[in-house]
Amino acid sequence: MLKFIVRRLLIMIPQLLLLSIIIFLLAKAMPGDALTGQMVANPNLDPETMEELREKLGLNDPWHEQYIRWIGNLLQGDFGISYVHNVKISDLLGNRMANTFLLGLLTLIFAYLIAIPLGIIAGRYPDSWMDKLIVGYNFVSYAIPLFVFALLMLFLFGYTLNWFPTGGSVDVQVERGTWDWYLSKLHHLILPSISAALLSTVGTIQYLRSEIIDTKLKDFVKTAKAKGTPERKVYTRHIFRNSLLPVAAFLGYDIVFILGGSIFIEQIFNYPGLGQLFVSSISQRDFSVVNILVMLFGFLSILGTLLSDIILSIVDPRIRID
Amino acid sequence: MAKGKLKFFSIFLVLLLTLAACSSGAKDEGGDKDQQGGDDDSTVVDPTTFPKTVKNDDAEIEGGTLNYGLVSSSPFEGTLDWQFYQGAPDAEILSFFSEPIFGYDEYYRMSNEVESAAKFELLDDGKKIKVMIQDGVYWHDGKPLKAEDYAYSFEIIGHPDYTGVRYGDAIIQSIVGMKEYHAGEVDSISGIEIIDDKTLTIEFEKANPSLLTGLWPYAAPKHHYGDVPIKDLATSDKIHIDVIGFGPFKVNNIVPGESVEFVAFENYYGGKPKLDSIILKVVDPSKVKKELENGSIDIAEFPTDQYDPAYEPTNFQFLATMDNAYTYIGFKLGRWDAENKVAVQDKDTPLQDVALRQAIGYAMDNETVGKEYYNGLRIPASTLMIPFFKDYHNPDIEGYNYDPEKAKQILADAGYKDTNGDGFVETPDGEELKLTFLSMSGGDTAEPLAKFYIQNWKDVGINVELFEGRLHEFNSFYDLVGRKGNDDPNVDLYQGAWGTGTDPDPYGLYSKTALFNFPRYVNEENEKLLEEGNSEKALDPEYRKEVYDKWQQLMIDNPPVIPTLYRYALTAVNNRVKNYTLENGTDWGLEDISLTSDTPFKN
Repeated sequence: MLKFIVRRLLIMIPQLLLLSIIIFLLAKAMPGDALTGQMVANPNLDPETMEELREKLGLNDPWHEQYIRWIGNLLQGDFGISYVHNVKISDLLGNRMANTFLLGLLTLIFAYLIAIPLGIIAGRYPDSWMDKLIVGYNFVSYAIPLFVFALLMLFLFGYTLNWFPTGGSVDVQVERGTWDWYLSKLHHLILPSISAALLSTVGTIQYLRSEIIDTKLKDFVKTAKAKGTPERKVYTRHIFRNSLLPVAAFLGYDIVFILGGSIFIEQIFNYPGLGQLFVSSISQRDFSVVNILVMLFGFLSILGTLLSDIILSIVDPRIRID
Repeated sequence: MAKGKLKFFSIFLVLLLTLAACSSGAKDEGGDKDQQGGDDDSTVVDPTTFPKTVKNDDAEIEGGTLNYGLVSSSPFEGTLDWQFYQGAPDAEILSFFSEPIFGYDEYYRMSNEVESAAKFELLDDGKKIKVMIQDGVYWHDGKPLKAEDYAYSFEIIGHPDYTGVRYGDAIIQSIVGMKEYHAGEVDSISGIEIIDDKTLTIEFEKANPSLLTGLWPYAAPKHHYGDVPIKDLATSDKIHIDVIGFGPFKVNNIVPGESVEFVAFENYYGGKPKLDSIILKVVDPSKVKKELENGSIDIAEFPTDQYDPAYEPTNFQFLATMDNAYTYIGFKLGRWDAENKVAVQDKDTPLQDVALRQAIGYAMDNETVGKEYYNGLRIPASTLMIPFFKDYHNPDIEGYNYDPEKAKQILADAGYKDTNGDGFVETPDGEELKLTFLSMSGGDTAEPLAKFYIQNWKDVGINVELFEGRLHEFNSFYDLVGRKGNDDPNVDLYQGAWGTGTDPDPYGLYSKTALFNFPRYVNEENEKLLEEGNSEKALDPEYRKEVYDKWQQLMIDNPPVIPTLYRYALTAVNNRVKNYTLENGTDWGLEDISLTSDTPFKN
């Protein structure tokens, strides 16, 4: 097991290196740079000064020089500076990542809290009215785009019922670090995370439902029933664990989901997170941030698959990897 | 206080263009009567007759908290310093706690008549300016505002290690000794002389008629920034978190990217603010209307694409001002000679014929565009000197108002005839006339708008096709028109826009030496007028007006571009707000805003 993990981690290095070259080249191939937007916005900026700034920022150097400089700094833990935000990228990411992580984590918790019971009920009583209801919910949640649903939730619970704040991650008037501050954070998180969770249950419910229906017909379940094991025990001990396999396989990928951020949710709830940062950095050509984010997402995806494999081997002892 | 709403580096064009989206315009045709007067007045009169000042006759309450909505679809960047900020949202936040040291009149000119932190005096026929900081002006940490603070601002901008974008300013570069300082040859700017704690003089290489509209007006707190090297200042906490100014409100708390809490600054030189605090939060454009109706924000810029002329809010009111920007159609006439840094108008294109350009101008129905695509919040443009510059805009010039018959006539007179019967005219030489049109993507209306113009041109017989058959994204758009001087020779027409800032001088956009002269237009008369408008003689406003009148007319007679639209921006204000104005040149400021009710009005 340990050997397997080390090997996978080592393969990661060339993978990430390749990714870094590709993303760097693609970023350079995009038309424009961080100064282009300033041209129209800032009528006092003359072309000579822009050229001078490009020179100062090293944007005019050949790509391989820029790449080597960048990757060198990166290896030393220096992520560079965001030209648009005027801050160290590590500070910027730290800030946004904390927000995104909280939102993602809560979303994930809500999603599983909703999906697992629903999946079990639907699988245990297929074709009952409950099952029909759950499958109906699945179709609807699969069909509604997130940005429409989130706005609807906002309209209902934010504006009409006034239960939750309509934007932001925390109340600016509450002092940082106090008990109230944490409560305010939670209060701000609930609506966006439930909105996202309600729409991300489809896969889990469907997998769980069909797995349970399949497993019910397996021989070992018949044996258990024949031995007179109580129905409830058959489900919790024999069926449930086996049906969780595909769901567990996805758990690793959810790590990526947690940190990847959701552009729609972040925009609609004015919640500053990584998804927003990624999109706005691309449109503003803030290359240093884009590159770091892609590297981060790349790293997380690889890590996610690894985690999935590990989790799977824990849940299912039949799978042995080494 | 100095209502200097100097939006120097105002708006991201990207934003402007996305505001363009319109969903309701076309549908409202029936109910929406033509609200514009005659064609001629409509360019100077607000088409929708919105007021600029909020109307509220109720008695004001003591203190209170105002909620301000910063309309943006992404978090603000949070570079809260005038020297370093880049995005428009940051500028909006800055204006609450940090203000220009000068006062400005209604022409956006520096004025001693308006309440302000500093007064000035021009010396040596305008080659030198003496700045006198008034007593009783304090930074938020209690230290007095000093002359060295104003000087420090220039030292930051001119510093070799400075990576912001403000050094590109012609007036800043013309300070005596600035170039040497910028090159790192000397440690101080010789033209800036600090006489005593409160007084300094700045000397310029030549008198500049734009000085009073264009001089950099912000001071940097030297005692606060002083120990941070300028190289590290951009990423310092002192311009991101621990920020100070000398404006009516001070920053109490910042939640990065989403909200800011301001509290009243007791020692503000213009008097203690009437409000206790202001909460500013970022609001996504899709939610603004709801937030306003709900009363959760009191003041916010209203997205023009969501404006519906039939909509009458009950709990808030609309104010409007004209943006300092214009949209235009440009003609690519030449190329950029990078070696000599000069435009050369030598492209082999039928557009070299002035008659064809004029016909293209008369064929465009901008009034319909403004009404149908922008809900009446954009109006046909007449000249390149926008009405924002009240004293230079010439309202007598009609410009290219929609007249397809005239366009056809001009074409016929110049010898353009349809000889092969395809519905489009051929050039006088009998060659087929086919032009390409480059337009930017962004917003729902970008494509129908481009197609509308193409149809307009088709109506008078000019064959125009979209460049590469599609719209182009912001960055590639500017690559194609030649932001680096490598223009794409296949582009004939393009639709662009410029923000003008507060300085009327068009030199940097239309001189043959300007890289941003994208049409690559070269005309001796034009060069002469631009030089004159920027000469010492033009210190006399009468003379300058005369020059710019001639220039505006020349730009109509022999156009490098056709101005198409002027824009209005809407601000929505809750009915409980009093003493809020968008008017310039008044003594009203943020400190005068008050509330007339503890709770906001709801719909």
